[in-house]
Amino acid sequence: MTAGDGHAEVVALLHREALYLDEQRWDDWLALYADDVEYWVPAWKSEHEATTDPRREISLIYLNSRARLEERIARIRSGRSAANLVLPRTAHAISNVLIGTETAETVDVRCLCITHIYDPKRRQEYRTVARHTLGLVRLGEEWRIRSKKVVVLNDNLRTKLDFYML
Amino acid sequence: MDASDIEALVIDRPEDGMFKVHADIYRSEEIFELEQKYIFEGGWVFLGLDCQAPEPHDFFTTHIGRQSVIVSRDKDGTLHGLINACRHRGALVCHTAAGNARTHLCPYHGWTYDSAGNNTAVTAHDRGAHGAGFDAEDHGLRRIPRFESYRGFLFGSLNPDVPPLSAYLGETTVFIDLVVDQGPDGLELVPGTVHYTYRGNWKLQIENSADIYHFMPTHETLLRIVNARAADDAAASAYRHRKEGSVTRGSMCFPNGHNAMFGGGDNIRARPLYRELDRLRERVGAVRAKWMLYTRNVLYFPNMQLLENASLQIRVNRPVSASRTDIVTYCIAPRGESDEARELRVRQYEEFFNPSGLATPDDTAIFEDIQAAAGADAVDWNQGYMRGMGTVSREPIAEARELGLNPVTSVAGAPSLGDETILHGPIRAWRDRLKAALSSEDRRSLRYGSAAAE
Repeated sequence: MTAGDGHAEVVALLHREALYLDEQRWDDWLALYADDVEYWVPAWKSEHEATTDPRREISLIYLNSRARLEERIARIRSGRSAANLVLPRTAHAISNVLIGTETAETVDVRCLCITHIYDPKRRQEYRTVARHTLGLVRLGEEWRIRSKKVVVLNDNLRTKLDFYML
Repeated sequence: MDASDIEALVIDRPEDGMFKVHADIYRSEEIFELEQKYIFEGGWVFLGLDCQAPEPHDFFTTHIGRQSVIVSRDKDGTLHGLINACRHRGALVCHTAAGNARTHLCPYHGWTYDSAGNNTAVTAHDRGAHGAGFDAEDHGLRRIPRFESYRGFLFGSLNPDVPPLSAYLGETTVFIDLVVDQGPDGLELVPGTVHYTYRGNWKLQIENSADIYHFMPTHETLLRIVNARAADDAAASAYRHRKEGSVTRGSMCFPNGHNAMFGGGDNIRARPLYRELDRLRERVGAVRAKWMLYTRNVLYFPNMQLLENASLQIRVNRPVSASRTDIVTYCIAPRGESDEARELRVRQYEEFFNPSGLATPDDTAIFEDIQAAAGADAVDWNQGYMRGMGTVSREPIAEARELGLNPVTSVAGAPSLGDETILHGPIRAWRDRLKAALSSEDRRSLRYGSAAAE
C-alpha cells in the first residue's frame, strides 16, 4: 500500500532518520532504534541475487543489537579511525515509500534511499543507492526501528561503506 | 625505461641494513604499463577456485591483467582457461560473473562455442564464400597458454614461457595445504562476494597485509571495540585482550615474490576451527593444527592473498592504473562446517575483512592517503622497509623448519618488532622480473602472441 495520511508518522520517522544522519546527530539517530535491532546489509551472490541467510552467508554488515551501532559511532568519535578522520557531507533522499504488513503495534515499510555523499577531503562525490526494508515497532507513543535491511545496488565500494552512507 | 632505470628504483644493500624503494614504483603510469605487460600478463596469476565452477558446463569469468578470461568446466568435468573474446570480431562472449551454459553465443554475429571453448557454429558458414584462409583456421576460443591447478587453486599465464606452476609456487603450497586440509572434505566458498576499489597502487594492499607494524596504530578502534565487549565472551574476537609477550609474529620470504606473515598467541577460542581442535590434531598432527590456528597472511605474487586471522579470506587484486586498484574478496571455509562455526566465521569475516567492517576501511583510506601524499618528487624514498634487517636470517628459523620450509629469509619476534624485511621479497621479484624483461634481447618471448614490446 502506498503510504497515505494514516501513515504520516511512519513516513516522518523515515525522514527524521535521514535528517539525523545528514546532520550527524548520532545520539538522536540511535534513539530511533530498538535495543534488539537487526541491522542487515546483505552482500551479492550474483548480478541479481543478494545473500539471504546471514548465518551461513556473507553480509556487508550484519549487526544484531543497538550496542553494535553504538560501537561504530564511538569509532567515528574517537578520531582514531583513518577512514573517518573527515566525515562526508551526506544527503539521504527517501522515496517510493510502501507500507507492508501492519498491526496495531508493528508495521513493515519499504523505501528507496539514495545517499549523496560529498567527501570534502578528496573533493569528490559518490552515492549509495539502496532498497530499504524496515520493521517498526510501537513503543508507547513512538515508533522504533526493530529491523532494517539495506540492499545496496552499487556494491563496488569506494574504500568503505558505513551506516552514515546508507 | 630500461633495466638500469628499474634497478635504480630499489636501494637493496642488506649488508648496510639499507633497503629503500622509490615512490615512483607506486605512481608512475609508465611503470604500471610494464607491470601489466611483464608481471600480470607475463606470468602466473591466480584466477579462482575450482569450486567456483563445480558442475559440468559451470563457468566463471575473471581477468589476467587487462584481459577478460573464462574458466569453464566442460561436459566431462575438465576445466578450461579461455580468452573471453569471440574469434570473429572480438566481442565479449561471456557476460556474467558466473553461470552454467552448455554453449556460449556471441551476441554480435552469433558464433557459438561449447563449454570446452570449441567453436560449434559459425553463423551461415556455408554461405559465407570464405576463401581457403578462413577454413584453415581454428575458430575455437583462444586458450590461456598455461592453466594449472594446485588443489583447486587455479592459476593461469598469458605467457607460455613460464615454469610449471609447482615450480612457481615452490614451498608456498604448504600454506594452501593448511587451508584445504582444515576440514575432512576440503573447502567451500561461502556465498557473498565483496568488491571494493581504492585510488591507490596495488602494491600498497599486498604490502599492508604483510605489515605487522601497522596493526596496533591503524586498527586501534577495532581493538578498543573488541576489548570492550563483554568480558565473558571468549569468542568475541581473535584479537580480544591481545597482549605483547603472549603473541608472536614472524615472516618468511620465498622465491618469486611470495611471502608469509604468521604468528600465534591470539585468542584461538574465537576461531571457528577451535571447537574441532582435537579432531584436527588427530587428522593433521599437532604442528599443522597449530599452524592452522595461527594468523597467516600469505601473498601469492602478484595478485592473490590467502589471509587467515579472525576468519579466512582470499583477496584478489586487479590493478586498473598506477593509482587505482580493484579488489574482490571471497570467504572460504571447511566444507559443511557446523552452523555455529559458520556463523562465528561470517561475523568475524565481516567485522575484520569487509570494506564495510571495522578494520579494512582504515587500511584502504590510508592507501588513498599515501597515493594523494606522493604528489611530486618531493616524496621520493620512504623509509618503511628496514625494520627487522638487523635480525633477519638467511637460515630458516625454527617455525619454518617445523613446516619443512626453507625460505630465502625469515624472522620471528614480538609484534612490536614489526618486521619489514617481509616486503623485500615481493619488491625484489618485481624488480628482477621487470629487469629481465627489459634486458631480454627478444622481448617477444615475454609476450603472448603479439608484436615486440618496443
